[in-house]
Amino acid sequence: MKHVSNMTDLFERLNELKVVFRYSEKLIPIIQNLMDFMKETVPLLENINSSLIESTSKIPKASDQLNNISSATELATTEILDIVDSISIDMERIEKSVKDVKSKEEEKLEIWQKIKTILGSEPSSAELVQKYEALNNFLPIVPGMLDAFQKVKNDVYNITLSLQVQDITTQQLAAVNHLIESVRSSLSSLMMHLDDSEIKSFDGFYKDMPVVGTFDPNAEYTKSTERQDAADVLINDRNSKTTQDEIDKLFS
Amino acid sequence: MKKVILVADDSPSIRKFVAFALTMKGFDIVPVCDGMEALEKLPRENINLVITDLNMPNLDGFELIKAIRSNVEFKDIPIIILSSLAGNEEIQRGIEYGANSYLVKPFDPKRIAYEVSKYLD
Repeated sequence: MKHVSNMTDLFERLNELKVVFRYSEKLIPIIQNLMDFMKETVPLLENINSSLIESTSKIPKASDQLNNISSATELATTEILDIVDSISIDMERIEKSVKDVKSKEEEKLEIWQKIKTILGSEPSSAELVQKYEALNNFLPIVPGMLDAFQKVKNDVYNITLSLQVQDITTQQLAAVNHLIESVRSSLSSLMMHLDDSEIKSFDGFYKDMPVVGTFDPNAEYTKSTERQDAADVLINDRNSKTTQDEIDKLFS
Repeated sequence: MKKVILVADDSPSIRKFVAFALTMKGFDIVPVCDGMEALEKLPRENINLVITDLNMPNLDGFELIKAIRSNVEFKDIPIIILSSLAGNEEIQRGIEYGANSYLVKPFDPKRIAYEVSKYLD
């Protein structure tokens, strides 16, 4: 009886073995496919790796170029401002001269009125007086000249306000540079995981990477007074309110 | 005697803009690149007012204001913040640290001259 039981057990085991063989038969093509896939994937991964190396190597150059743009605009802005400064100094000088001449003309006019009173009784001098007055009409044009000076001064102030776009764009470029540096850092870390030997070859490359300076990522170039007004509200909670009239009075 | 204004900003063009706006009004300017340099210049020059940026290397504007306000010799010097940061948080912090005025970049040259005149005329 025990002998029959052993035989039954053996057949069961053989059946199980048969199932395993059948299952393996099905599994072999899958494994084969997997191996084929791996063969195709390895070169692809190598390609990705070399692309990462190439992209990462270009980042310091991009960063350098952004810094060069900032330096060039800084230099140009400074040069323009030097010229604007020189124009302002000349304008101030001319304006002062005109005011001096005006003051002297007013004195001359007073004297002339006295001379005219004396000459008034002389009929022969009437024509000469008329000619003299026609040639000495500087005073009426002075207010127009002073208005023109004021307009030039305002234009100069507006130029300096517009030129500040350079400072704002420099801050915006620094913010972009900071993002680029973050991407480079992530790529480097990824490459380190993919292939430790490759990242070592880049160690020296990054030493010249420009250092990201201090910047405001939200710097905004706008002529709107909205942001200044908001600051004034907070400041004026403590101090007295500033009005545009008060500011203009200082420059009239 | 001309009043002397210390201008702390890491941007050369901003230092020049401020100088442009204020020298025309008869003030002398001492330009510096950061808070650290500002603290070095403060005892050496006869400074009447400080204009400072907030984002600066080495020592930022907030730390500079704190250092000035905690110094017995300079604690009463008027301080104007000139920054592109215009959030309530920065402005409140500037006031708490002891700034007298807060100007937002880009700034109106007339306005900065007016603010300075308020404290120095």
